[in-house]
Amino acid sequence: MCGIAGIHAYLDVAPPVDREELARMNDRMVSRGPDGSGLWLSREGRTGLGHRRLAIIDLSVGGAQPMHSQDGRLTITFNGEIYNYRELRAELQAAGRTFRTQSDTEVLLHLYAVHGVTMVGRLRGMFAFGLWDAEKKVLLLARDPLGIKPLYWADDGWTFRFASQAKALLAGGAVSRDPDPAGIVGFHLLGSVPEPFTVWRSIQSLPAGATLTVDAIGPGTPQRYYDVASALEDRATVQAARGSAGSRIADAVRDSVRHHLVADVPVAVFLSAGIDSGTLLGTMSGMGVPDITAVTLGFQEFEGQPLDEAPLAAEVAARYGARHILRTVDRAEFERDLPALLDAMDLPTVDGINTWFVAKAAREAGIKVALSGLGADECFGGYPSFRDVPRSVHWLRPVSWVPGLGALVRRGLSGALAAGLRLHPKAPGVLQYGGTWAGAYLLRRSVYMPWELHEILDPTVVEEGLRRLAPLSRIAAALETSHGLGDFDRVAALETSLYMRNQLLRDSDWAGMAHGVEIRVPFVDAFFLAALPAGPVLAGMNAKDAIAAVPEPPLPDEVRHRRKTGFSTPVGRWLNDASGAPQQQGIDLSAASRAWARELWRAGWAGPAAA
Amino acid sequence: MGSRILALVGDCYGARGGIARYNQDLFEGLADGRTEILILPRHGDASGRELPAGVRQKTAIFGRLRYSLTAIVAAWRFRPIDTVFCGHVFMAPLGFVLARLFRARYWVQAHGTDVWKDRRGLVRRLIEAADLVTTVSRETRRILLAWVDLPPERVRVLPDTVQDVFRPGPPSPVLVNRLNLGKGPILLTVGRLASSERYKGHEAVFSVLAGLRVSFPTLIHVVAGDGDDRSRLEAVAEEVAPGAVRFLGYVPDADLPDLYRLADLYVMPSTEEGFGIVYLEAAACGLRVVGGKGGGTADAIPDERVGVIVDPADRSALAVAIDRQLRRGRADPTAVEPYRRAHFAACARALYARLAAQPRRTTAGP
Repeated sequence: MCGIAGIHAYLDVAPPVDREELARMNDRMVSRGPDGSGLWLSREGRTGLGHRRLAIIDLSVGGAQPMHSQDGRLTITFNGEIYNYRELRAELQAAGRTFRTQSDTEVLLHLYAVHGVTMVGRLRGMFAFGLWDAEKKVLLLARDPLGIKPLYWADDGWTFRFASQAKALLAGGAVSRDPDPAGIVGFHLLGSVPEPFTVWRSIQSLPAGATLTVDAIGPGTPQRYYDVASALEDRATVQAARGSAGSRIADAVRDSVRHHLVADVPVAVFLSAGIDSGTLLGTMSGMGVPDITAVTLGFQEFEGQPLDEAPLAAEVAARYGARHILRTVDRAEFERDLPALLDAMDLPTVDGINTWFVAKAAREAGIKVALSGLGADECFGGYPSFRDVPRSVHWLRPVSWVPGLGALVRRGLSGALAAGLRLHPKAPGVLQYGGTWAGAYLLRRSVYMPWELHEILDPTVVEEGLRRLAPLSRIAAALETSHGLGDFDRVAALETSLYMRNQLLRDSDWAGMAHGVEIRVPFVDAFFLAALPAGPVLAGMNAKDAIAAVPEPPLPDEVRHRRKTGFSTPVGRWLNDASGAPQQQGIDLSAASRAWARELWRAGWAGPAAA
Repeated sequence: MGSRILALVGDCYGARGGIARYNQDLFEGLADGRTEILILPRHGDASGRELPAGVRQKTAIFGRLRYSLTAIVAAWRFRPIDTVFCGHVFMAPLGFVLARLFRARYWVQAHGTDVWKDRRGLVRRLIEAADLVTTVSRETRRILLAWVDLPPERVRVLPDTVQDVFRPGPPSPVLVNRLNLGKGPILLTVGRLASSERYKGHEAVFSVLAGLRVSFPTLIHVVAGDGDDRSRLEAVAEEVAPGAVRFLGYVPDADLPDLYRLADLYVMPSTEEGFGIVYLEAAACGLRVVGGKGGGTADAIPDERVGVIVDPADRSALAVAIDRQLRRGRADPTAVEPYRRAHFAACARALYARLAAQPRRTTAGP
């Protein structure tokens, strides 16, 4: 896991690459790669690549980057891990390719030389890379299928720039900071900025599962090579393999965990009291991984209360023989870390605080790589949305057929009336939005609804942002397939393509990388997703129970039957307090998210000026 | 089989000005022998000119309605059309309709102020419908993307190119004798003297001439160009810098290289140039240049080998810039080489190849 950057002066009139600018971009990402740094400029000075290294595979200098092919034609800067690189290496060697290093980076160079851009479909892992082909004079950018690793680009019409962080592009000093209303509105609507937007007009996120080629006249249209909805549709239409659904799940989990353990440093696990991370630990243990370290986050406020995950996590760690590190965080530490946290946060997000602290704990324990249970809820229907969104659509669809009725009701339930009825601020929009998949999903996941934005943002920004973002069309686009999806797969596609990608995975990246810790996510893997039973089968079974049974011995009953606690950490209360919102009894997550979103925007991005 | 481009333009062969020049350069760049280009201009007469192979220009029609009707008939006869090129946003409604009617790709060219100021919703939607938008400068692209919702990769920059006639050389003795400008140094400005284009900054230069003459007593400012603002500018010059400004009126393109070679410094602190091809032409002849902050000027004055950019509102900075540039001697013409026609033509062809490789669009969606 690393930080990558690059500048390519593609138009003849563009000035050559400024090495100092590239160095500034690279240096902004020092926490992503504390083990080494590399800069390379082509002989003509028109292409430059930068790299910050966190050494995980092939710790020798042989794995240093940017890396060149033996003939000098190809140069790559790569962030991520290729879990099937040994299989690919063996295949390439059998075809006569000669390797100089043990790194997965070199596999990418050979694979591109043989297969060209279609090589991305062969890769199992998390990745973002920039590859310069001096013979064809093209720069290729690629990002993994599900969007685990970020990749941002900026093009001024003469020169193309890319980096692992949007803030690194700004740090170079040549990229405009004009705000993008689409990203700003997107953040306030959803709590994170939906790709391909950022909060800066000049900076784009390369969509997950896409490649981008830059030639002599600049970047072309990003080309998708993977799409979640299509993958789920394919999974539902192929003949079921032999064996029960439970055994297919178990095989898929074991296979994914095995692949995610590929490393030349020890691999730890982030452990909560939930099923997902417990299953990862149990599976690792069952594979005979020695000396596993499990890191759990505890909160002083919860000690001795039912919400405290620490005792149960300790029991799970002991059950599988792991060294257990319990790291307790209190409010004072949160407040101390807040400035650094905001600086590391690449794009505004209402989440990521827990990941910041658990990654910090891992770093303190000398851990470089840890598995996380992120993504299991999207695969196995662990969110309430899997129940609520289809129910909403089926009940309210007839209302959506009456033009204007929902909007009329929403306007009728004006702010004052809704407040008098003690309705949730989003409740007036139920009839207007609840009858379509995109609308029901927006209701479920939104921080603010579109009609509320004019109260917190400049009306011009709201109007322009909503027009550019087109939130409902954008959400609906995540469901586009040739034959349609079942209810379970629809919600899985929405959660995986939107919430998980734009929020959870992005948060994991910046919060983990801020501490130089690589977070691996075995439940976020295109090969794993394809190996699972079809959506209707998963919907008809207790899939979470099935994964709890994967380890030997299975997870204890207390974990299997524990009510999902989600965000019930004091972080919600701290966020609420930090944002200056009124004191509440208990934690109202929705209110906390709203207040925090506003405070965060004010503190870190208003302008937006942070970099 | 070759490709067919229907070009709706304001000015092209036989017309004056930077946009006419740009369009000619573009079509000459695209004319590879296999591409047919039919130009429908609003100004300019191409009769008697030899056009590149495959390029034809119809008689200019200024009237909007007649132009539109003639364009529809011409397009019908020109079928099958691969691309409708719209050389000015003003013609975007017609360009869009023709492109959809004839199932052609739709290419919009933006020059500068045409897309900086007119931000009506209809204009925005017509630009957003384009398969390719080209701008002459990075700044025009940036401004366009600030209010038009287009994927950034669809908006490409194709900078102006410098004609080969603009090269360094000795001053023409004939011109020296005819103009009789004295010992100099000679500051030169070339541009339309239009009341709608006061941003070119003539008055700013006039206002610092008296101060400059303290150091350079025989300094003279030569103004080439004509327009409805000329008499007013002459009066201003006479008032603030008596005897220091010489107005030449319109100078034909063919005479410009000699004019540049005669001068010591090109000064035009313009704030709204779409690109500012004159800066490059001057630099290609070895003149250092002083340009104005704003618009696309930064693209035409690539670095200090050519000159500097100043804010004309800051008169002392303008005076200092002129003083310093005069003392630095000649520009390095190699800095202009990437703007030469071979680069421009290669870029234009690559852009068109990329556009032609796209599937045709029949709906207005992105």
